[in-house]
Amino acid sequence: MKPAPFDYRAVGSPQEAVSALAERPGEARVLAGGQSLVLEMNYRRERPKLLVDINGISELERIEEEGGVLWVGALVRHRDFEEPVSADPLGRLLSRVSRYIGHPPIRTRGTMAGSLAYAHPVAEWPAVAVALDAGIELLGPDGPRAVSAGDFFLRPFATACRPGEMITGVRLPLLGENSGVGFAEQRRTQASFALVAAVATLTVEDGTITAARIGLAGVAGRPIRAREAEEYLLGSPLSAEAFAEAGRRAVRETDPLPEPHAGVAYRRHAVGVLAGRALEQAAADLEGRA
Amino acid sequence: MKIELEVNGKKRELNIEPRRTLADALREDLGLTGTHLGCEHGVCGACTVILDGKAVRSCLMFAAQCGGREVRTVESLAADDGTPHPLQAAFVAEHGLQCGFCTPGFLMLVTAALEGDPDIVEDEERLRELLTSNLCRCTGYEGIRRAVVRAAGDMKAFS
Amino acid sequence: MSSESSRYGVEPGDYIGRRLPRVEDARMVRGEGHYVADLRVEGCLEAAFVRSSLAHGRLRGVRLDEARAVPGVVGVWSAHELPELPAAQPLFPAEVLEGRDWPSLATDRVRFAGQTVAVVVAENRYTAEDGADAVDVEVKELPAVLDPTKATTADAPELFEGLSNVVGEWGTGEDIGEDFWKNAPVVVEASYRQPPLAPTSIEGRAFLARPEEDGGLTVWCSHQAPHRLRRDLSSVFEIPQQKVRVVVPDVGGAFGGKSETFPEYLVVAYLALRLGRPVRWVEDRAEALAGATHGRGQNQRVRLAADRDGRMLALAVEVDASTGAYPHYGFAPLFNMLRLLAGVYKTPRIYARVRAVVTNTTPTAPYRGAGRPEAAYAVERTVDLLARRLDLDPAEIRRRNLIPPEALPYETPTGALYDSGDYPTALDKALEAADYESWRAEQRRRLESGDGSLLGIGISCYVESAGVMEEYGAVEARADGSFLALSGASSTGQGHEITFAQVVASALGVDVERVRVVEADTDAVPRGVGSFASRSMQVGGAALHRAALGLVEEARRRTANFFGISVEEVGYREGMLFAGSEELSLPELVERTGPLRVEDVFDPPQAFPYGCYVAVVEVDPELGNVRVLRLVAVDDCGLVINPMVVEGQAYGSIMQGLGQALYEEVPYDAAGRHLLDYGLLDYLLPTFSELPPVRLEEMETPNPNTPLGAKGVGESGCIGVPPAVVNAVADALGHPADLQMPLTPETCWTALCDRSAARSAEVRP
Repeated sequence: MKPAPFDYRAVGSPQEAVSALAERPGEARVLAGGQSLVLEMNYRRERPKLLVDINGISELERIEEEGGVLWVGALVRHRDFEEPVSADPLGRLLSRVSRYIGHPPIRTRGTMAGSLAYAHPVAEWPAVAVALDAGIELLGPDGPRAVSAGDFFLRPFATACRPGEMITGVRLPLLGENSGVGFAEQRRTQASFALVAAVATLTVEDGTITAARIGLAGVAGRPIRAREAEEYLLGSPLSAEAFAEAGRRAVRETDPLPEPHAGVAYRRHAVGVLAGRALEQAAADLEGRA
Repeated sequence: MKIELEVNGKKRELNIEPRRTLADALREDLGLTGTHLGCEHGVCGACTVILDGKAVRSCLMFAAQCGGREVRTVESLAADDGTPHPLQAAFVAEHGLQCGFCTPGFLMLVTAALEGDPDIVEDEERLRELLTSNLCRCTGYEGIRRAVVRAAGDMKAFS
Repeated sequence: MSSESSRYGVEPGDYIGRRLPRVEDARMVRGEGHYVADLRVEGCLEAAFVRSSLAHGRLRGVRLDEARAVPGVVGVWSAHELPELPAAQPLFPAEVLEGRDWPSLATDRVRFAGQTVAVVVAENRYTAEDGADAVDVEVKELPAVLDPTKATTADAPELFEGLSNVVGEWGTGEDIGEDFWKNAPVVVEASYRQPPLAPTSIEGRAFLARPEEDGGLTVWCSHQAPHRLRRDLSSVFEIPQQKVRVVVPDVGGAFGGKSETFPEYLVVAYLALRLGRPVRWVEDRAEALAGATHGRGQNQRVRLAADRDGRMLALAVEVDASTGAYPHYGFAPLFNMLRLLAGVYKTPRIYARVRAVVTNTTPTAPYRGAGRPEAAYAVERTVDLLARRLDLDPAEIRRRNLIPPEALPYETPTGALYDSGDYPTALDKALEAADYESWRAEQRRRLESGDGSLLGIGISCYVESAGVMEEYGAVEARADGSFLALSGASSTGQGHEITFAQVVASALGVDVERVRVVEADTDAVPRGVGSFASRSMQVGGAALHRAALGLVEEARRRTANFFGISVEEVGYREGMLFAGSEELSLPELVERTGPLRVEDVFDPPQAFPYGCYVAVVEVDPELGNVRVLRLVAVDDCGLVINPMVVEGQAYGSIMQGLGQALYEEVPYDAAGRHLLDYGLLDYLLPTFSELPPVRLEEMETPNPNTPLGAKGVGESGCIGVPPAVVNAVADALGHPADLQMPLTPETCWTALCDRSAARSAEVRP
């Protein structure tokens, strides 16, 4: 399990990275945390001719909060979220989710942007990105552009990021004062990938849900938002019955692909349960602060 | 390509292919065979080393990425006079190893964690998360858990 | 000399039952252990194998030209270029192999995904893999059969032309006959599946061969049986045994998966001889999961008859066991299984048939437990069914059937001779340690409250066979005051360097630090069998014990001769010989009379360790997740030499048993390809997070058939845990009909769905 040969280039700026990628169109890959890419390279399923190492681009290590948006640079590691990075409930959500990713040494190296770029069908960050309508900032030979998370993920391991482009950062909207967050995941052991996962946020005014976001992983070729379930919750009070019903509605929006470790029926069922539990967590999170 | 890095406190120069993993550079080029390769995809953790103070999988990094950085391997744990590190001593005392193949990875994983915060053993959830990072097929983990708790106590008593 | 023992705080000679730290740990915690991949051998090349990606097909062509041109590649070969390459060797000779050769590189056919098709030898592993990448293999795919029962049907694909897929059939007892079953007061029946498991030592297989100038061969190998490997290499390469040296350095776990003379080893040794250069192969994880051997892999059909009081009358077991694509190793565990089907019960009639069947899966082989877990599972799951049928507590039905201690030694209808022990006490201890009655009360409380939470309690009583074949042991007193303990066993992590030293030092009454254990090198140890089947201490330790006592006798004889007195006048204590007013230490005796080594070869009957496991589980009614709340293990492995090591073995095998019960199965697609793209993220070993609260309780009934009294340890958890945990989950789920391992969340959820479907069907008219 040794990688095929490649050339290596360490770059100091995003522009330099994009120029390097352009030298080997379609054959160059960005190396950030490398915790999925190097795995794939060791199995020789990925055989880039050129690796562009962006770890030296310090501006991509930043996290900034401005204008209701949290901007996460492409080199921010999973571990950086363990302590909340924002006073907004979003900080708590990212903290909670980060604990489900791999294990501590993987989290030390792996990045949120890298997880989005890899687009594993049960990865946690893509589900969060879709739930929150994150903006994914790309830089390519034609300059920068942004793609919303809903349009970014195409199929398992396939995204809207074109050859020659790289992710520079992720824009995540803050959730606002009266919001609660939840995340639930089903996995076979603590060292396995998730089978399915659900992320939920709730915003409440005067005891009534005014905004709900539900993102699901592992129940389609890409992470999805359970919009029908979200709509169902609007105007409802925080109640276990409502959450369970939202979970059931979320199931209708899923269309899991076959995979070796759990059947379609089970994953559909489980994601409904998890969506309900994530919503209950979100409610508890809200009440815990109240 | 040529890189210079610090390994176990010594400056080392390497002339390597870009594809050489850090694990192979340590083992094959520097002769530090205490770092083991058990899965080469980041799961088992036998190859765990400490890079700039943090535990990482040396099978999922290229040596080319480590120019100018500090790497510590299991060979650095004991004192120069041979006195074992408290964690090494605890692994022996608590039967934290059987075949010994995963042991260096566990030692480096836990060393980095205890150096960061010896109180991690007081927090059941954080300790669980930490020890879930690596795989052992022999011990059933119980001896490892006891060793880590014991070492944390010993290290506190020392400092 | 007793002052020297201060390090352990124990008097010399008093080392039995002591928790002494292991000798090997000192190097291992420093990273100074040496595994095969760590060895530096001048001029050594590295090998990589090209493996079949298909499970079954005709090999049309293997193109090597492109690979030969890869920089760094020294040579590339398929079977076509190596007509003299020897075939894989069976674990022991058997007629089942007739006509079913396992070529070390595939010739005209591939029969499992992962089979070796070509080999690349290169300057290093990176370039070897570059070469392997460039090899083009053309296979015309044939239909594959994966399930051993399906493979016995008339329309199943034939793996070996003109030969049945059933390679062998064995049995025990007389057919019980349909009349009996029809007339029996109570009969329960069930089918069980033992999924294929990957042993998954963290170090894979590894082999390094160096040709020697005298025509000999030196081999370093991660192995459990170095002398058997030497014998096989000697015979296939026609090199005299004394010119073949097998050295087993530190071994990173084995669990049964490193006992064989694998095709890869023969290819590497052959090429080393042919090239005149050392060649090494270090298996990577992808190869280890797909191409190394798997354990278990069988279908069981069980019938159990009892009277109305639950007294078991007869047991019938039919098994289809997959040997995988080649039957060279997979038939071996079946004999253990047949012999142990009585379990700990006095069932008077037992009839069993087992068919060994070739399938297009990775070959099976002994894996920790090797037939014992399969037997215990078939019996213990079915005893629970009987309890349920009769509405008896699972503990009570066991009590009514256990072989009483006064009946031991007891010969079972399956031909096993249980040596000693107290099965009812093991059960009682386990129930007490588990707080069984309180959990039953809690279970009733929950059922009555209707809160929906699912609590289950499971019991398994097991007996296993430990040790097989003879073992060599020798003890040598040296002039420098040290002692050598030479053993034919070969540690793969069990800690022989301390436990064998404890045995020898205790027998000699000397300081344990003066005893150095020598094993795992065929040049240093003249003969041996190895470490498997829980035999190291039971047989190898006993041989050392006898050799040490023999050394004392020999020393007395020599002393008598030296002083010209009779042996009876020579006393021995703690390394000193006393003859009248004269005293002589063992080193002095050696100096005066020459080298002093006493050898022993011991072949005791099998021992039968036993015990009882209790599991308490909770099942998440919505998601099907199983949480083990408590696991109690009572094991009697005879005399315990080092409790620390024994407990370590218990924890380790408990976790592997838990792996089988809940997590582990090698997944295949319908065409027989492994679904293991993500390696250990797909094949799941239990992690620290899966470690349940465990309580160990010991019993210690010495083995009456060896002077040492050890019975063997290391496999009990793999045997006792799966039925205990599955019985507990079945109890929580209301005993669903077809609950098969591993009990994944999906499996449990499906069982719950079936139950509610059945309930609503009951409600309808």
